Amino acid sequence: MAANKLPLRPAAWLALLLLVLATLDVGFYQQSRWERLHWQDERPRLAIVTAALGLTDLCLATEARYTRNPAVSDPIAPFMDHPGSLEHFPSGSFWAYPARAAEDRQ
Amino acid sequence: MNPALEKQLNLLDYALSALRRRKGKNFGVMLVFAGVIFLVASFQFLSASLTATAESLLTEAPEIVVQKMSAGRQEAVPLAYLERLPTIPGIRVAVPRIWGYYFDETSGANYMVLAVDPGRMPRGDQLFKGIDGRLPEAGKGEVVLGPGVVRNLKLGGRRNFSLFRPDLSLIPLTVAGTFKPATELMTSDLIFTTPDTARDLFAIPAAAATDLCVYVANPGEISTIARKIAGLLPDTRVLTRPQISQTYKVVFGWRSGFASICLLAALAAFVILAWDKASGLSAEEKREIAILKVLGWQTGDILVLRFWESLTVSSLAYLLGCSAAYLHVFYLGGTLFRPILLGWSVIQPGLHLLPTVTGRDLLLIFILSVVPYLAATVIPAWRAAIVPPDAAVR
Repeated sequence: MAANKLPLRPAAWLALLLLVLATLDVGFYQQSRWERLHWQDERPRLAIVTAALGLTDLCLATEARYTRNPAVSDPIAPFMDHPGSLEHFPSGSFWAYPARAAEDRQ
Repeated sequence: MNPALEKQLNLLDYALSALRRRKGKNFGVMLVFAGVIFLVASFQFLSASLTATAESLLTEAPEIVVQKMSAGRQEAVPLAYLERLPTIPGIRVAVPRIWGYYFDETSGANYMVLAVDPGRMPRGDQLFKGIDGRLPEAGKGEVVLGPGVVRNLKLGGRRNFSLFRPDLSLIPLTVAGTFKPATELMTSDLIFTTPDTARDLFAIPAAAATDLCVYVANPGEISTIARKIAGLLPDTRVLTRPQISQTYKVVFGWRSGFASICLLAALAAFVILAWDKASGLSAEEKREIAILKVLGWQTGDILVLRFWESLTVSSLAYLLGCSAAYLHVFYLGGTLFRPILLGWSVIQPGLHLLPTVTGRDLLLIFILSVVPYLAATVIPAWRAAIVPPDAAVR
């Protein structure tokens, strides 16, 4: 026997779909809150190492000195290794010209 | 139910039915749109997370770094400069630091070798908390290795290894400890040792260091004292903590970098495509609009209908794209962007990124994606809707 139910109107299906996605995003939000609490536990160790060793940069791209230590490298380092040298490291495309360089020129 | 609300719900129902009639095309558009939003949002989340992490940690960076410059390049700074600094009032302590890069030809990795007396640095007495093992001792060739270096050297259970001096003679080193994995974001490629060992490795004279870390009594005077140091030692470059932090804001800033330009270009291309598709309505779509007008629909109703269609497609694409971007960046460590971000780096830190998604980021992505899409689809619909129905049907 066919189920004697009223079909949901299309707008209700959309609302259900949005509800599922919203629930997923609320889950992400809760997870991010947990991660941030966890970070508060980890940060002191990172802060101690940074302060005690006088570190100036995050260890992200280690392929070239100006991507490993952008804060303390020469601003024109990508172009100074030899005449006509062009920036060629992949991570160099992700890294913008440091603001410090403009201040240095003043 | 409120008649106005009931009317909007009915229009939404009709819009969803219309979308369903052309489900192949609309689903395809939504997936492509979600893909573009995913790329833009991933980049934004990644940048924001790295910027926030850098800002949080670099508040501990040296207050002032003094580097000696010669012929446009950085070179070793004479320790005699330390004797001239105390003439500037307000300087608490100046500590020489020796550091440089060691290229391991076997693996192609770059290590960062760093030597400083932790006893003279801020929080140096707590450094043991970041180390498994103990601090290196002077005169013994001892080192503390970062997690990435440990992985790369493949020492197994051995505690001894050698590196080459500039004259290619070998310097024997002993592992006194390793940095804790939790510090990997700062120490992955680090070889921390004592100044005598670093001088021996790099053949740096005893009367020189790579740079000087200067700490002041009153942090409010950092820029004033930096200016005085630059005046006292004119052949130096003086960097301050605010400048160091600013570097990361710029490096990862939204407007910076090649990647953001590429992604915005992709978004612009999609919006242009949407405009093109919407402005060239098919004969079937034009006929549908004409029939609706013949049946008594007003131009405003048709516009609202198109608005609901576009809003449904773009909102679903936005939610799917942003959710997938969150998964990509904070669960998968930004897998798609790692090749760009880390490049040819042999030592790659495990990117455990701190979730930093703000309402501002989400609003920015919404304005950059959904709003142009709505404009690109509703305006051509309005142009089609104002055509007299008899002309459209003919």
